[in-house]
Amino acid sequence: MYAAVIAVSAWGVALPLGFAIAALVGCLVGVGTELALYRPLRRVEATQLNIFLASLGLLIAGQSVVLVVFGPQARTLEGFPMRGIELGPVAFTTIEALWLAAAWVLIAALMAWLWLTRHGLAIRAVASNPELAQCVGVERERVFLLVFAVGSALVGLGGTLIALRDTASPTMGVHPVLAAFIAVFLGGIGSIPGAAVGGVLLGLAENMGGLFLPGYWQGVIAFVVLFVVLVVRPSGVLGVRGR
Amino acid sequence: MDFWLHVVNMILLFAILGVSLNLLLGYSGLVSMSHAAFFGVGAYAAALTARHLDWPFPVTLLAAIAVTTVLAGGVTFPALRVRGEYLILLTLALQMVLYELMLSWVDLTEGRTGISAIPRPTLFGRALVTPAQFLPLIAACAAVVFAVGYRVGESPFGRVLKAMRDDERAALAIGKSVLRYKVLVFSISGALAAVAAALFAHYQAFINPFSFTLDRSIFLVALVVLGGTANLVGTLVGAIVYVGLPEMLRFLQARQDIVDAIRDFVFGALLVAFMRFRPQGLVPERLGGGARLGTVALPAGADPAAALPARAARADGAPVLVAEGLSKSFGGIRAADDLSLVLPGGKVTALVGPNGAGKTTVFNLLTGFLPPDAGRVVLHDREVTGLPPWRTVGYGLARTFQDVRLFERMTVLDNVVAAIPGQPGERLGPLFLTPRRAAEAERQNRAKALGYLAFVGLADKAGEVASALAFGEQKLVALARLIATEADVLLLDEPASGVDVQWVSRILELIRRVAAAGKTVCIVEHNLEVVTAVADRAYFMEAGRIIAEGRPEDLMADPRLGEIYFGKAHR
Repeated sequence: MYAAVIAVSAWGVALPLGFAIAALVGCLVGVGTELALYRPLRRVEATQLNIFLASLGLLIAGQSVVLVVFGPQARTLEGFPMRGIELGPVAFTTIEALWLAAAWVLIAALMAWLWLTRHGLAIRAVASNPELAQCVGVERERVFLLVFAVGSALVGLGGTLIALRDTASPTMGVHPVLAAFIAVFLGGIGSIPGAAVGGVLLGLAENMGGLFLPGYWQGVIAFVVLFVVLVVRPSGVLGVRGR
Repeated sequence: MDFWLHVVNMILLFAILGVSLNLLLGYSGLVSMSHAAFFGVGAYAAALTARHLDWPFPVTLLAAIAVTTVLAGGVTFPALRVRGEYLILLTLALQMVLYELMLSWVDLTEGRTGISAIPRPTLFGRALVTPAQFLPLIAACAAVVFAVGYRVGESPFGRVLKAMRDDERAALAIGKSVLRYKVLVFSISGALAAVAAALFAHYQAFINPFSFTLDRSIFLVALVVLGGTANLVGTLVGAIVYVGLPEMLRFLQARQDIVDAIRDFVFGALLVAFMRFRPQGLVPERLGGGARLGTVALPAGADPAAALPARAARADGAPVLVAEGLSKSFGGIRAADDLSLVLPGGKVTALVGPNGAGKTTVFNLLTGFLPPDAGRVVLHDREVTGLPPWRTVGYGLARTFQDVRLFERMTVLDNVVAAIPGQPGERLGPLFLTPRRAAEAERQNRAKALGYLAFVGLADKAGEVASALAFGEQKLVALARLIATEADVLLLDEPASGVDVQWVSRILELIRRVAAAGKTVCIVEHNLEVVTAVADRAYFMEAGRIIAEGRPEDLMADPRLGEIYFGKAHR
């Protein structure tokens, strides 16, 4: 998915257009994999485990394609004016301000979409009971396609945002995606506010922990947070308690 | 020559790792994304004890095993308590964290430079340096690991692993402590990975974090899956492909990073293609136990009913199971509301009522699949309230499921044998220390299980894979499996639903015979004909409460209950 980001930086198009292209390429790649891989897998009634393994295969194959096409070196994405901003004791950069704004806007838009539109209703229907949704005329396969399109477009955007401050590289995907996984589990699966809260908690824990612990323990914090949540509240902080 | 011997050594090392991962992934259905990290921790444990404490080789191996076993069994414990996705997540995070620590905890691991000059092992006074000298040691270790893997996977212990892989709830329902087996198999897997790790550290004489990346973990998963899950020969094949493929690519004379990328791509693409077209891998799991079946035969002329275990037969109608004041709410819905019921010994009791009345919830509360909010369950004067399901089975209370839940990738016979309690071969001690006793018990248990199958009339299907049976036959296998638990209180959830008419009469006949043999039976059933035909007493449930009890005929004749059951006529 992050190939989109690299393409943008390589072509040197204007930045707003770059975001659009990243979202579009992400979207197309997502829809493509859904059509070419996940849908046939569901048709042969592959188990969850098999689908997961296939996605792992896709990850390593995709990474190596990006590596061969774009080369192993990291690329920077330029064009956004980077300045420091100081608000009282808090110092951050314009890019980080953009991250913050983009995150809130996207979360709000996503929630509105899920709760206020027909498409959102269809998605929630399929999530809670696929068979029943099918009975009342919600086309399951089309909903999956839609989810892949939107989700992948968001990934493309997120990747571009990260590449603004850091760099784009073939292996950049794994770490943020893992953090995202943990945030989603932390907040509770199937809850957008939960995912946002989980993300905030995780970020806070990682960075606050850094104040008190030697640097090499910082990477452990996300894991410890996950560990504690699994022990104390396996359904996530805002998750729906399973029966 | 040395080059090819080196390739062989690497194949054997990865085969060891593959066996270790296959026990988790293939036999138990547990995904470990941190196997490279376990491998790494073992390697560092061996390297550090060798370098800093001057411990000799076999001792460093033991140190590696100890550290990795504790790590694998202990750290995964919280994730093993909950659903499978969490395990993937936790092991993924564990992989990242351990790799990060290897890189940045410089005081201990020397960071990215790694640990060098790890002493070579000496065997019979001779230092092992060249690949040729190492080969016998690695081959011997690999042989031991394969033997252990085979013993763990293809034994009564492995049968429990496969059972929980195929259906965790059903494994609980036949009295297996799923959590215990998960922690055990993770520990064993960690120990075996440590064998490869220690050998690797001493063989290379140098380790750094880059051998233990997430990518390596993914490739190990790919290796096991491509070779064939739950088949150790497949794992050897997988290791040959994994190590051999880059060596083939060497002949392309391309740049190293391009070769690596091509290898990654080929592996990724293979993984995708296999999931799509051949999910069972190159060398698939052996499903049919046909060959082994030959050793079990039913004694000619034996009465199948004699197969019923005779423990605690009480046909006198004294209360065997008593439930008082059971309540359970889901959110605002009271699925069980101050329920009390008694199951008299040797009788058939039925729970009837409209859909959603909470009948299955009662079963879940009685057997410990759901903890009640209030109330208590007493079985044979022993309180079993809120005990985990596998424990209540041990005390003699077992249940079937509405949706059957057979272990689909096991044979019919294995489905039934697995439920027999107290098998020495299911515990690691007897399995390795007194193998002959375990084998003898296994032979007897298979004969016993065949007896139960004969009782339900399916002895001729014993060697077939469970998922290949017709639905009615599957219900009969589930009944045989239930009897095999040797519990004396049997809860049957819709034993005759969704089954052709000719099967129904057969199932009813069996239920009557089971009760006549002194078992206490309780059925949940929609089919009122079934209830009147088989039940001595019935409880009528509506909206989580019992609103009537008595003889089934009397309940059926009550117009008020008929209205609740069938709805008002004018609707």
